[in-house]
Amino acid sequence: MSTPLTSNVPVVPSFFRSAVRVYELSLGRMLWSRRTLFMALVVGGPVAVALVLRLLAALDLLSLTGGVDFVDSANQRVTIDGPGIFGLMVWGFYLRFSVPLLGVFYGTSLIADEIEDKTITYLFTRPLSRCAVLAGKYFAYLVSTGLVLLPSVMLVFFLVVSLLGGSIGAAFPSLVTDLALLAVGLAVYGALFMLIGTWFRRPLLTGLVFILGWEPIVAVVPGYLKRFTVSYYLEGLAPHAMPQDRAVTGILGVMQVSEVVPSVAASLIGLGLILVGGLSLSAWVVERREYVIEQ
Amino acid sequence: MNAAVVAVERVSKWYGQVIGLNDISAEVHPGVTGLLGPNGAGKSTLLKLIAGQLKPSKGSVRVFDESVWGNPGLFFRVGFCPEQDSFYDQMTGLEWVTALVRLNGFSESEATEAARLAMDSVDLLDAADKKIGAYSKGMRQRVKLAQAVVHGPDLLVLDEPLAGMDPVARRQVIKLIKGWGSSGKSVLVSSHILHEIESMTSTILLMNHGRILAEGDIAAIRGLIDEHPHKIRIRLSDPRAFARGFLDHVGLRSLCLEEGALVIETENPDAFYSRLTEVAASGALGDVQEVSSPDDNLQAVFEYLVK
Repeated sequence: MSTPLTSNVPVVPSFFRSAVRVYELSLGRMLWSRRTLFMALVVGGPVAVALVLRLLAALDLLSLTGGVDFVDSANQRVTIDGPGIFGLMVWGFYLRFSVPLLGVFYGTSLIADEIEDKTITYLFTRPLSRCAVLAGKYFAYLVSTGLVLLPSVMLVFFLVVSLLGGSIGAAFPSLVTDLALLAVGLAVYGALFMLIGTWFRRPLLTGLVFILGWEPIVAVVPGYLKRFTVSYYLEGLAPHAMPQDRAVTGILGVMQVSEVVPSVAASLIGLGLILVGGLSLSAWVVERREYVIEQ
Repeated sequence: MNAAVVAVERVSKWYGQVIGLNDISAEVHPGVTGLLGPNGAGKSTLLKLIAGQLKPSKGSVRVFDESVWGNPGLFFRVGFCPEQDSFYDQMTGLEWVTALVRLNGFSESEATEAARLAMDSVDLLDAADKKIGAYSKGMRQRVKLAQAVVHGPDLLVLDEPLAGMDPVARRQVIKLIKGWGSSGKSVLVSSHILHEIESMTSTILLMNHGRILAEGDIAAIRGLIDEHPHKIRIRLSDPRAFARGFLDHVGLRSLCLEEGALVIETENPDAFYSRLTEVAASGALGDVQEVSSPDDNLQAVFEYLVK
């Protein structure tokens, strides 16, 4: 047995350095979890479908090079090409479903998991501010969810666009826009659900009620309530990432996307406020809250 | 007397309508101080207040003459070993201790070196590269101690560090704690077992029902304990063989066989623990896995004290 090191004159690590250390500690735990496996299966669904379609096309059992035909609300037959289908998937599956789900599952767990596992004490008895713990965990969330979601989006892009007769080169800028939009969605939902995770006793349930109850319901209710959702502001950015044609507009109508969408500037301000508000309030709560861990 | 390392002044702590601590004042000085009391006495609450995990509802808690709540800088000088048996189970002991001391601002190489030394200090270096999930209860207790001492703190706050340990590991940890105390560190260690505290220090804070009943030398209450039989539960591989080996033990009042365990009632706990450690170390009566002491008997002493 030997004597542990005695530290020299201690220097308080900077906020950024502390957050990076927490990030390093948290990333592996976040990535190699059952939660990640579940979400990888969810976002792997479209990739699997696209791969099957690709295989069928390669075997000459299916030809979609002319796009996909739909009947719009005026009973007219319209055709959507690859970029159009991809844009719809980004909006319908990734932005409205996968991003909020990732936000709920990961965001609410950032602090709540440490409390439930009774390991928060080890982080809060080190010489770093609780805000730095929160920031490190939030960075780890962004990287984890980004690594789960964005490869799926890119794979679907490359598999679907050319399969349906689109040009990958021409549609590539929209992919970049879509990826940025999804990253913004992850950041904003993450901040919101991190706040719920630090504040509420049953954060996952509260988060699920928000994304599966509140957001879809107020999206179809006329009035101002939809301003209290994240999807409303994301919607203001989404159409610019998607091709504008009659078919896409018709399908968006069927998907209950509100006709009145905020401007890009209003969307950015709204999302910025939710992001900054979520992060600041989370930090405020965590700094003041006593986490009573019982044996 | 040295300046107080920890000064608790008229502290009360409520959990909603429930009172956890009731207007207590106490001081901790360099050396080992034992915090003794039955379960629910408020020991953990007091330790969490001193470790800055809880905020006093009333009064003040000062560590090294600084308020501890919301003062993370103090954790350069404070090491905390919590009661809960919770870890990042998928990490190895060395990875976990390294990762935690990195949060103190240590570089990668400094952190690895410090973690190795800390693991060695708790005699866990051989198992340093094993996953914590595969550790025994005693090893888990020791790795918790390693993370508390890894940064070389001046004050160690240890909440029930001997809980669930086998006699050999218990003896090692008691030796460690005494060593830290004699090396000039301040160690505040809680237990609900008088025998454990007594083997580490003669300076105690005696708590019950959220109050400090007595502080100072342990000898004053020592005599009272012997009037009350001491109950000890031992989990082991062969309870019958063990029972046979202890039938002639001086002070034995009763033996109760349970599945994979033996519950013993003795009037002479010192002699019993001493023999138990020898027997466990020799392995003569099978493998002793865990020793615990239900605090009913200690509760009786406290009730007697507060009458």
